[in-house]
Amino acid sequence: MKYVLSFTINGQPVETLAEPTASLLDVLRDNLDITSPKRGCESGDCGGCTVFVDGKAVPSCLTVALTVAGSEVTTVEGLMRDGQLHPLQREFYERGAAQCGFCTSGMLMAAKALLDHNPSPTRKEIAVAMSGNLCRCGGYIQVMEAIEAVAGRQREVKAEDSGGRE
Amino acid sequence: MPNAEYFAATELREALRLLAERGDQITVLAGGTDLAPQFNCRELRPQALLYIGKLGLNYIAADNGDLAIGAATTLEDIATSRLVSEKAPMVAQAAAEMGNPAIRNVATIGGNLVMASRAADMPPPLLALDAKLILVSQRGERVVPIGEFFKRAHKTIRLPDELLTEIRIPSVKGQTAFVRHGRRKVFSCCVASAAVRVVMDGGKCADARIVAGSMASTAIRCLGAEGVLNGKKLTSELAGEAAAQAVSECKPIDDERATAWYRRRVIKVLIERAINQARGL
Repeated sequence: MKYVLSFTINGQPVETLAEPTASLLDVLRDNLDITSPKRGCESGDCGGCTVFVDGKAVPSCLTVALTVAGSEVTTVEGLMRDGQLHPLQREFYERGAAQCGFCTSGMLMAAKALLDHNPSPTRKEIAVAMSGNLCRCGGYIQVMEAIEAVAGRQREVKAEDSGGRE
Repeated sequence: MPNAEYFAATELREALRLLAERGDQITVLAGGTDLAPQFNCRELRPQALLYIGKLGLNYIAADNGDLAIGAATTLEDIATSRLVSEKAPMVAQAAAEMGNPAIRNVATIGGNLVMASRAADMPPPLLALDAKLILVSQRGERVVPIGEFFKRAHKTIRLPDELLTEIRIPSVKGQTAFVRHGRRKVFSCCVASAAVRVVMDGGKCADARIVAGSMASTAIRCLGAEGVLNGKKLTSELAGEAAAQAVSECKPIDDERATAWYRRRVIKVLIERAINQARGL
């Protein structure tokens, strides 16, 4: 039996129908044509489906869609601002951190979750935060460097804002 | 495909009423990280889902020296809780080593206990800490020592009309250590784990708890190994003896993660390491 499901996706209110056993991944891709989160494994083992629910990274393949009623869901499509790429997207692009691109959406969301919470992570903290995202092309180094670049740039901006008196 | 129903209770008594009326048809849903894979591959087709994420069961509180953790508390909240790190560090550590950050944001301690996988990570430290579980129904409330909660893999004593609402950890005495082994350092199911607590008295071990995880149908206390330590001064030789004794008390199986042969070798190392860590070495 399908139930009405209302939530916000990348700032836009949306209403759709979903079965109780449908995942958020199913609803995003099949109902709403938001295809950035990927069906990598459907068992929570790859991170390719990572999206935000109310600002927290979650595995959308393991999220029962009906439980996000009233919540704010964010995907990679929601990272751009006024036509400008998010710094993470920019760094991934410029550093070749995306090869086939299948893991990229999940990587970006996991990276954003890290930097939202911890703007100056150590390498170890980055590795832990990204531990749930697998890449079959083996592109881990460039992802690490892209995240470090964004973190470093955020540190510079903060230093400038405080008049260089960090 | 039969029509599944969905309920999202906002009050506990609403949830209990539903469970009293239709408990045998209802699949209780918290984080869903263990149920959803079964929905996705159509292995499980529930008749009805009862979502308990909005019942206010996500909390961590100190209550008269006990630590009270709501059953729907996420692993991430437990892993990063200062209160849990102070009062029951093994539990925070075990939670932090489960899954990955996104999974930890939604998976719950209650779900891990109720699903009762052989490889569940919450039972071993809770068993070593003599935790108690609170099961609630329209008939009332019962407090169950965690050692009595598990019957075997995937089977607990929870009745269809009951909801697990809280995990209580009594004030922890003694030193503890938890060591976990998976196929990879992170993001892999537990192959074997050791949760140890030792209470010392006058330089000798007065009360030992040695728990092995993923080594039997449920987490188990290795009573013989505990007997090796009790009443004696703890040395590394004794830790080795206790670990060897513990191996004989375990009933590991071959599965997709590891073989029984391998598990027996690993658990000996883990228990010895955990005892030495608990001693402060």
